[in-house]
Amino acid sequence: MRCGDFRESYAEDMALFDSALPRVLLAGLLALLLALPQFATTYWLDVMNRIFIAIIAAAGLNVVTGYTGLISLGTAAFLAVGGFATAALAGKAGLPFVVVIPLSGLVTAAVGLVFGLPSLRLKGLYLAVATLAAHYIVEFTASHWESVTGGVNGISIPPARFAGLELKDDRGIYYLILPVMVGLLFFTKNLFRTKVGKAFVAIRDQDISAEVMGVDVFRYKLLAFAVSSFLIGVAGSLLAYQARIISPENFPITLAIDYLGMVIIGGLGSILGSIFGAIFITLLPETLRLATDAMGNYWPGLMVIVAPIKAGVFGLVVILFLIFEPDGMAARWNHVKAYWKLYPFSY
Amino acid sequence: MTPRKNLGIVLAAAIAALVPAWATAQQEIKVGGIFDLTGVTSDVGKPFAQGVQDAVAWVNENGGINGKKINLIGADYAYKIDQARALYKKFVNDDKVVMIQGWGTGDTEALKDFVGQDRIPYFSASFSAPLTDPSKFPYNFFVAPTYSDQLRSWLDWVKQDYAKAGGKGKPKVAFMFGDNAYGKSPLAAGRKYAAEIGIDVVDEAVLPPNFQDATSQLLTMKQKGVEYAYINVTTTGVSLVLRDAKKLGMNVKFGSNPYGFSEALVAVAGPLAEGVTGVMPHVPYGTPVPGMKNVVAMHDKLRAGDKGDAMYVRGFTYVMVWSEALKRADKAGQLNGPGVKAATETMADFSTGGLSQSVTYTPTDHRPTMTTSIYQVQGGKLVKIGDFIMPRTPEWLGL
Repeated sequence: MRCGDFRESYAEDMALFDSALPRVLLAGLLALLLALPQFATTYWLDVMNRIFIAIIAAAGLNVVTGYTGLISLGTAAFLAVGGFATAALAGKAGLPFVVVIPLSGLVTAAVGLVFGLPSLRLKGLYLAVATLAAHYIVEFTASHWESVTGGVNGISIPPARFAGLELKDDRGIYYLILPVMVGLLFFTKNLFRTKVGKAFVAIRDQDISAEVMGVDVFRYKLLAFAVSSFLIGVAGSLLAYQARIISPENFPITLAIDYLGMVIIGGLGSILGSIFGAIFITLLPETLRLATDAMGNYWPGLMVIVAPIKAGVFGLVVILFLIFEPDGMAARWNHVKAYWKLYPFSY
Repeated sequence: MTPRKNLGIVLAAAIAALVPAWATAQQEIKVGGIFDLTGVTSDVGKPFAQGVQDAVAWVNENGGINGKKINLIGADYAYKIDQARALYKKFVNDDKVVMIQGWGTGDTEALKDFVGQDRIPYFSASFSAPLTDPSKFPYNFFVAPTYSDQLRSWLDWVKQDYAKAGGKGKPKVAFMFGDNAYGKSPLAAGRKYAAEIGIDVVDEAVLPPNFQDATSQLLTMKQKGVEYAYINVTTTGVSLVLRDAKKLGMNVKFGSNPYGFSEALVAVAGPLAEGVTGVMPHVPYGTPVPGMKNVVAMHDKLRAGDKGDAMYVRGFTYVMVWSEALKRADKAGQLNGPGVKAATETMADFSTGGLSQSVTYTPTDHRPTMTTSIYQVQGGKLVKIGDFIMPRTPEWLGL
């Protein structure tokens, strides 16, 4: 049995997966996800779509916060920029989604670059506050630039359209979101095997050392903001296509907190963590509600009592993870995997 | 007896046992409920949701909908738009509800296009005027005068009060509002109407979300010599404005909307609330009107120890209106979205037992009533000071 890291060629060293099993499992999972709309109800499709969108945005936040070490509270703002860009490009300009989605990502990346500028001077808590300011600037713009964003009343987005194809319902939009998510996850996973990704990690671990090694810290910090905002902007664009009506009320500051919770619970600096965190935080209110519904038959009035638990559970889970598993669900997952890999000879 | 026959008997018995269950399931009318129990508007959303739940229990105990029980599938959406949308999809596609009891501006605005497409009547507690125009939003309903008519009525009161006090010239009015769809909803109508009836709107002040201090806004108003101000935010915000106005020694007569003015304002602001006027489309809890008997009975039974308020009455009143629509739709054999909409639109001068003004809906006009009741805090009590009636003109539909 192989009990260690044996890499004998460059090809092996560059491989994303070190054995056939994960590849087979991943292919199986993808096939399952592709087949899912055939038997899932609309409600569960909606939940899946929201999970996928959350995964993309959480991966985006992880690029800047988890990998580069720059705390950002601007996630909701960047989602809003992506969403409103889509409303303008798809609604006003009538462009097809194959153009709109990447363009919305680029618009958001540009905005992200601007709000990334303070990262030249600011670090840690100070930067977090600067991005918080970004949130309020975007929120104000969204509710007052009425000709583009529709102001406080929000704006409708036409169904995603391309060459005669119209994705009106959740089933259609599912097949749009799934490939975008898979593509972007592979992009992000690979990003951290390149020079750029390594530079991000170097900045996070010790920015002065990084600079001494020849990493242009400011340039790479800005790049991290741009890549992160691009991902979040794409998520915002998909969110707009899925929601079909968006208003500034869709993007409160609590949403940004939820996303920070996702990457902390899932695992900072881990793509797998973004996935776990997004699934967990999206499913938390749904499972609590399903449980209440099921018990409600025996104990009516439970809804009013259980509803506030959601917020409490969110806070409690974040605290527990910070204490017992600061590296998040992804780290726990790797422990479990390692345990079974060596079973029964774990040592 | 062969095993195969045995199996047949067991199957037959199982089917026989299931059929009554299936039959009773058929005797049930599913209604979706989207409530805010934990979000930013939960202070008013929770008593409203309780009123709705208890009223449904009351309807079910008293004959149901022509013998059929209402099954209210309610859930909290914490004022998060994506969760409201998810719940909506679940209600419409999985639960197959005939209608939905919604809540505030957040969910109503996010769903207004969908309820029209899916033909699901959506009763919500957002009184935004555009929702009353059936040519745009045929499936949206509410049970109150529109926010716009409420503000127009309050301006009428200002004019009256100013004349009574012997004021000369035009009264100087300010609008204070939150920077959101709910806060801004009646402003355009208010500005226009003020100009028409000879009131000067001298200042408009924005109150930021979750503000803790309104001193700077009030100082500007003081400089401009404002005499009356309409505060279009919820209870907490109104009491903060009252506190700061007192601190600055201002002598402004304040008024507020149905989510800023209720028993809760008196409880929070105490003596500061004295003299404040407000719009109350649903009567304070305990008002001696015929419909209150059931409200108090259900509240005592299910919420003993809790304090009832106008939000609870509001929730109760909503169910009285749409359960009547369900009854009419059921009689017509049309227990579905379009059927319930059509049945609602047959309601003419339908009385809620004094809990609100009588309501009327027609296929071309969803303004439930043109009458706005204005109350004032006098000696810590909510006292009605008058009903103001706006003309039902087609020009004001949806504005």
